[in-house]
Amino acid sequence: MIEIRDLHFRYPGAARDALQGLSLQVRDGSLFGLLGPNGSGKTTLISLLTGLLRPSAGEVRIGGEASPGGAPAAQAISALVPQEYAFYPRLTVAENLRCFGGVLGFGGTDLKSRIEEVSGIAGLQDFSTKRAEHLSGGLKRRLNLAIGLLNRPRLLFLDEPTVGIDPQSRAFILEAIKRLNAGGATVIYTSHYMDEVEQLCDTIGVLDEGSLLAHGSLAELLKAAPGQRNLEEMFLHLTGRRLRD
Amino acid sequence: MVTLALVRKELMLLLRDWHALALLFVMPAGFILVMSLALQGRFAADQGVSLSYYLVDQDQSAASIGLVQRLAASQELKRVPSDAPLDVQRDAVHTDKVQFLVVIPKGFGTALDGSTPLAMQEQSGPGVEPAVAELFTARLQGLLAELYLSKRLGALGSNMPDPAGAQALLHTESLYTAGARPSSVQQNVPAWLLFAMFFIAIPLSTTWVQERSQGTYARLRTMGVSPVQLLAGKLLPYIGITLVQAALMLMVGVWIVPLLGGGQLTLGHAPLALLLMTLAAGFAAVSYALLIANLVSTAEQATIFTGVANLLMAAIGGIMVPRFIMPPAMQAISLHSPMAWGLEGFLDVFLRGGGVAMVASWVLHLVLFGMVCLGVAALSMRLRHRS
Repeated sequence: MIEIRDLHFRYPGAARDALQGLSLQVRDGSLFGLLGPNGSGKTTLISLLTGLLRPSAGEVRIGGEASPGGAPAAQAISALVPQEYAFYPRLTVAENLRCFGGVLGFGGTDLKSRIEEVSGIAGLQDFSTKRAEHLSGGLKRRLNLAIGLLNRPRLLFLDEPTVGIDPQSRAFILEAIKRLNAGGATVIYTSHYMDEVEQLCDTIGVLDEGSLLAHGSLAELLKAAPGQRNLEEMFLHLTGRRLRD
Repeated sequence: MVTLALVRKELMLLLRDWHALALLFVMPAGFILVMSLALQGRFAADQGVSLSYYLVDQDQSAASIGLVQRLAASQELKRVPSDAPLDVQRDAVHTDKVQFLVVIPKGFGTALDGSTPLAMQEQSGPGVEPAVAELFTARLQGLLAELYLSKRLGALGSNMPDPAGAQALLHTESLYTAGARPSSVQQNVPAWLLFAMFFIAIPLSTTWVQERSQGTYARLRTMGVSPVQLLAGKLLPYIGITLVQAALMLMVGVWIVPLLGGGQLTLGHAPLALLLMTLAAGFAAVSYALLIANLVSTAEQATIFTGVANLLMAAIGGIMVPRFIMPPAMQAISLHSPMAWGLEGFLDVFLRGGGVAMVASWVLHLVLFGMVCLGVAALSMRLRHRS
């Protein structure tokens, strides 16, 4: 599904590359956990994969097609759920879903059925007339996720989708992600919660300072790092204990 | 479909922002009402000078009655009829309810025949400017001189010459252009409408800054929304808002200001020219707003920058101080403000009977300004995206 070859990216004015020759493959239907300390290049990689940034060098292929800066074909099958609440606080839940559905080009009964579908997945049916600014943190996260599901993506990028919410909402979102993955969607999942990644992801990549330090299943990663008992220990072993910006 | 969804979203966001609605609609309406009524007398160049006075004739002689009639014949002087006692009339002048008080004392006519004339009394109110008081006094002195001379010449057996003959000795030519000057309401309606149009930068920038900082902008981009669609999604609804602003402010000028005792706004005879001017001014204002939205990083920056820049443009452009009051050098400088282009265009339609041909130059100025702003906004958007 995703093939990344020797990917480089440098922000204008930066002294060094944010991504330094990164190569990676993510297979179809995978639930891929992307780990890394702050500033490791996770968001840059997701921005490159979703077309928000263009690579300085290297190649990204999504579904077999080259995706230079987010080719329309890749955009049509993918969706990004950013870490921020990327919706309009002054609009209601239904208005937000209608707005983004309209932006995606859906209308009429198709849009209506998609809104019902994603509201069901995210458990938002009872909150459709409530303004987004008045939702709890957990409901905001669920709305953020629901918007990302409107185009029924085959490739879903989730950037820390459970930050700052209660355990109930967190469990609900993780279950929803599992169901989406079971339904055939490939998911790229970033998080700082190691237990979530352990519980959810079949493949894990550890990124630091723009380079991929490790890549494989949890069992493979632990096998390659003797003495490390779990993902968190393995992560600290690979990335060190130095505090990051 | 995409642009339509963005337009609908933008309108819904604006309709739920009471501060923005007050800024865009209540503020200009308030300014129009207050300034049109407060400056009514100051702009009334086309209504001529009118000086009001009380007159108390304690003499009731043939001479005093003749003087009263001559005063009444003067078009610039308006006698306020009153049977109130002299003290009450004096109080009215002291409080500027009437500008002047003229008292013809008893024995005035008789004294005119003798060697020592009896002086009339003239009093002006505290709010009457010295130049205006001098005008009234000169008029009164002229009439008294006529009366005095006719009495003296009559005593000598000679007839008073016809005053019309004396006027023929002086030919006057005035280059005064009062007819091209706006009344208070004609100046203030387009002025404050333009002022409010350019304040669209605040709500537009606030929304755009929020979209950028909350990741909504990035999300829209990943959904395939192009920069052109994003710009169109802002430009179209806000141009619509400027049209609503124009319609409402014109209604205030035509109906509300006269209801409160002010003059009535006349819209001229060229609706197409008026529509073109409104569209061009709206396009310029919204493009300028898009430029600011792309240059600033926070809503606070947008508010401060817009406030300062708009006040400067308004001060220079004849919004706060009408251009015709400015000295020639400042009038030339003022034509560098887009608000002045808009104001002159509207005044061409409202005041000078102008049509499409007359406003074409102002329309072109505003459209070019808007296109430059839009171009720089698009460039800034691209640079920001890259960084």
